[in-house]
Amino acid sequence: MIRAVMVINTQGKHRLAKFYDFQPVEKQQELIRSIYGVLCSRAENVSNFIEADSIFGPDTRLVYKHFATLYFVFVFDSCENELAMLDLIQVFVETLDRCFKNVCELDIVFNFNKMHTILDEIVVGGQVMETSSEEVMKAVDEITKLEKSSNAISIVPKSISGRQGR
Amino acid sequence: MFEKDVLQLIRGLRAHKGQEREFIQSALRECRKEIKSQDMDLKAIALLKLVYLEMFGHDMSWASFNVLEVMSSQKFVQKRVGYLAAVQSFRPDTEVLMLAENLLKKDLGNTDKNTISLALSTLPHLINTSMANSLLTDLLPRLSHSNPTIRKKTIVTLYRLALVYPEVLRPSWPKIKERLLDENEDPSVTAAIVNVVCELGWRRPHDFLPMAPRFFDLLTEGQNNWMSIKIIKLFSVLTPLEPRLVKKLLPLTQLIKTTPAMSLLYECINGIIQGGIMEAAAGTTEGDEVARLCISKLRGMLVVQNDPNLRYVALLAFAKITTSHASLVTEHQDVILECVDDLDISIRTRALDLAIGMINENNLQIVVDRLLRQLRTSGTVSAVDDPDNDRSAHDGVVPIAEDDEEDAQASIRRTNQSKDQTPPLPDHYRALVIERIVEMCSEDMYARLVDFEWYIDVLVNLIKQCPAEPSNTGVSISERVGAELLNVAVRVKAIRPEAAAAAQSLLFLEDKDSYTGSDRSSGALTAISFIAGEFASLLPDPEAVLTSLLHPNNSHLASKILASYAQAVPKVFVALTSQERISWTTGRRSQVTLLIARIVHWLEPLTLHPSLQVQERAVEFLELFRLADEACKGHETVEDSSPFMEPPLLLTQAIPALFSSMELNPIAPSAIHQARPAAELLESHTQQSYQSSSLSDKVDVEARQRKRAERRERNKDDPYYIDPDGRSGTSTPMGNALHSAVGDEELNVDDIPVMELKLDNGHAVSKPAKQAAAPKKPKRHFEIAGDETLSTRDASSTSLPSLVPSRQNQAKKGLMGIDSSGLSALSLESGGNRTTLDIEARAREEEEMARAIREVERLRLAMQRRTEEVQDTGEGESIVVKRKKKKVRSALLEDNTEAGGNVDNGDVVEKKKKKKKKKPEGEATAVAQTNEAEQAEQPKAKKKEKASDCFR
Repeated sequence: MIRAVMVINTQGKHRLAKFYDFQPVEKQQELIRSIYGVLCSRAENVSNFIEADSIFGPDTRLVYKHFATLYFVFVFDSCENELAMLDLIQVFVETLDRCFKNVCELDIVFNFNKMHTILDEIVVGGQVMETSSEEVMKAVDEITKLEKSSNAISIVPKSISGRQGR
Repeated sequence: MFEKDVLQLIRGLRAHKGQEREFIQSALRECRKEIKSQDMDLKAIALLKLVYLEMFGHDMSWASFNVLEVMSSQKFVQKRVGYLAAVQSFRPDTEVLMLAENLLKKDLGNTDKNTISLALSTLPHLINTSMANSLLTDLLPRLSHSNPTIRKKTIVTLYRLALVYPEVLRPSWPKIKERLLDENEDPSVTAAIVNVVCELGWRRPHDFLPMAPRFFDLLTEGQNNWMSIKIIKLFSVLTPLEPRLVKKLLPLTQLIKTTPAMSLLYECINGIIQGGIMEAAAGTTEGDEVARLCISKLRGMLVVQNDPNLRYVALLAFAKITTSHASLVTEHQDVILECVDDLDISIRTRALDLAIGMINENNLQIVVDRLLRQLRTSGTVSAVDDPDNDRSAHDGVVPIAEDDEEDAQASIRRTNQSKDQTPPLPDHYRALVIERIVEMCSEDMYARLVDFEWYIDVLVNLIKQCPAEPSNTGVSISERVGAELLNVAVRVKAIRPEAAAAAQSLLFLEDKDSYTGSDRSSGALTAISFIAGEFASLLPDPEAVLTSLLHPNNSHLASKILASYAQAVPKVFVALTSQERISWTTGRRSQVTLLIARIVHWLEPLTLHPSLQVQERAVEFLELFRLADEACKGHETVEDSSPFMEPPLLLTQAIPALFSSMELNPIAPSAIHQARPAAELLESHTQQSYQSSSLSDKVDVEARQRKRAERRERNKDDPYYIDPDGRSGTSTPMGNALHSAVGDEELNVDDIPVMELKLDNGHAVSKPAKQAAAPKKPKRHFEIAGDETLSTRDASSTSLPSLVPSRQNQAKKGLMGIDSSGLSALSLESGGNRTTLDIEARAREEEEMARAIREVERLRLAMQRRTEEVQDTGEGESIVVKRKKKKVRSALLEDNTEAGGNVDNGDVVEKKKKKKKKKPEGEATAVAQTNEAEQAEQPKAKKKEKASDCFR
């Protein structure tokens, strides 16, 4: 099962943290910090796996992928296939890319809410639910539509047009 | 006041560079205000902001009731925010969960599929036992929902429910099975079921054996690699239970040969290894073929494709094969050992683990030298050194304003330029490498080690390369290497001069380091100084060593090290001054008294050391040296040219006798248990039991005294035996030595009785190193002394003291593991396979349950009657009473229908007790009730109290 999904930027700032077993807030922070400590010391052309036993205890694996300014991190146990998890990160990122049209870190910062929606379609309760980014997009679009129809107020606009104007 | 929405919060954060903390505090204050407003929109926005801030470590558990409010909103957009907040901030013991239950029930029954799926994906994050119990009835119908998404999410949610409340499986497994067997089911739902079954599989494999044919079909259809992977994982736990499956699974080889997906290929190999298919089919041509195929594929992953990820997983798989097919793996040691030098630390670690099994006399030095080079050449940049990281370490809870606008706008799909560099080694990896080197060399009593001089050199290097002391408790790595150095010095007699020289060089090195403030290898100092002291006669330059030991800066060292120093100082002193043959000239006297003065000067402050051990040793030796000083000054001297004059006996005989009367030999850890006096001492103490009666005591006293007398007789010559009457001590070495110092002619060191240890090394259990195996280098022959023990037949006696704790010991409970022990205790096969005894027991339980229901009903009626009476006095309260009562009843009934009295026996007893307390009438019968009933009972008891209050 997948234990946790995290997105951290290269400066160590948190962009998403979802733990599928409950962890207190302080513990979460500590875990992410130690993961980041390991991540930032790794060279570019090495494998995507990290021995996470010292951080998460035995029988846990950690796989990450580095895209521009972001690290996508999945923590999982022996019930998941290592290479498949790597593919799952790809699915996640691809979906984000579809959703935001050439996604960048700022999209994720301002739409963290939506990122949660996407992740909830891919992983539920630590189990992989959907591996096709097309299907995920369909579901996410539907939810967005429903949100819009349910109320005119939009808490977070879909795209952040005013970004450059700041 | 300007109303900020989430966007503005984020922007504001980005704009307030340097004052994030204040900004966040004001934002939090605002949220607290907004969240209390009546306007749902405002509430939802405030909540979303809190969720954002929670990501940076700002606790939002205080808002749990507000989360609930937003969750219950009619508008989907708000509801979603509420649910998101619940996922992020609720925990299974959050108090408001009791109130959330109804809402969840309602949402699960909603007609809109998005609302249902919202509730479904939130449940795994906050489920607890009582909720699982009550929500089960709402979840089960969702298994046959028309929408496949709902169906698969329900399946996963049910699985998470089962983890906290195993009873869930009983009603839901038949339905899930039905879905699984349905050929027309949506493939994604089938995949979800397979996922869940795979998770349950390793916990209770027996239950899923009957389903094997269906899984096999799914595997051969092979539409979905994700699902195939899970099925193979499941089979790897099933095959050990059902050997016949092995034959069926041989077609996996076909999959290995043809599949283009590396993940599936890897999983197939993994499944074959873990399922024991290799072992089961070993010997047959097919089995050999499978093994060869797997290994050649793995080798391919290691070399042909230059992909570090494949290298990593291939090494993982190799590690699993080594347990059964070590020889096959060793064939590929060339590529595996290559990985020890990989750029990637993860790969190195894996390769290192594998390498241990492949080391032999011939490649040991090559591999160790390679690892040493790694340690020497790469810098030690620990994570903390990184300035970026530092910032997040100190105020990581604050989202810091952006200073990377440009970067953040770059598409994350941009390809990365790769930079080539030697990675800096993190400390834990350093420690691991050092540990492994020691492990490799010392395994099997140094069986693979040919050249001990080289090994001493390696150890010295390792001590220099040790990472800074880890903050956690336990033995530090430098301490372990130091212990290993000591171990070699003690066991291998021939290497002692080199070991002593190494200790000397390390002490000098440590001197320099202590001035600069680095304490990397200080853990090893205890052992080093011990070696220097114990083998002081072999030191190349004992005087310099003494100077180094007496350095004033040493007083800052840890007390453990200081104690060892205090012990080493007199030993080195002995080596310097105890020559009998040299005449006692004026020159020699002044030299010795100077040395003594220096030592006394060093020891004096230590007598006030906070550590008792240091203090004690300092006091003792200080007295001894003062004595020696007097002896020197009082002893008559002669001029250089004069005839031979004997030096003081205290210097040449008494003090050396303190340290050299016994030679150091390794003793097996088990030897202590066989030591006679220790065992009997223990016995005499344990006899004084608090429970034994005074009568039997009287009888015992005599026997005990007789025993004690016998023991005293037996041990009277044993210097280490502490006589309870305080009459021991007449024959200690110290006593003898002091005797001799005042001129007693009868000194005979050999008289000093010791435990029956063979002092002569020739008698020691020794095991010659396998020298013959390395003909290339004609080397010195090293004898390795085995452990001594009192009984030579003890099998464990020759084992080395484990320097590296076994990996089982290290395995602690995973941080993120969910306790699912209850799950394995549950039986899914209700009814069908039960024995008659089981059925009887069940019938009995049911009967008891029925009785309990009747009892509760009776009580309820009694209470109702009473509350009706109360109604006359206080009306408001009685309404509450009535409502609660109803709840009690419904909860009980529900409970009875669902959990068929499957509560632990212990539980029943406990509950019974509790019940008795609450109901003084004492009509409690053996009732099997679950938590719910228990909870329901409480209000009742309270009501009763209240009712009686009213009567007063």
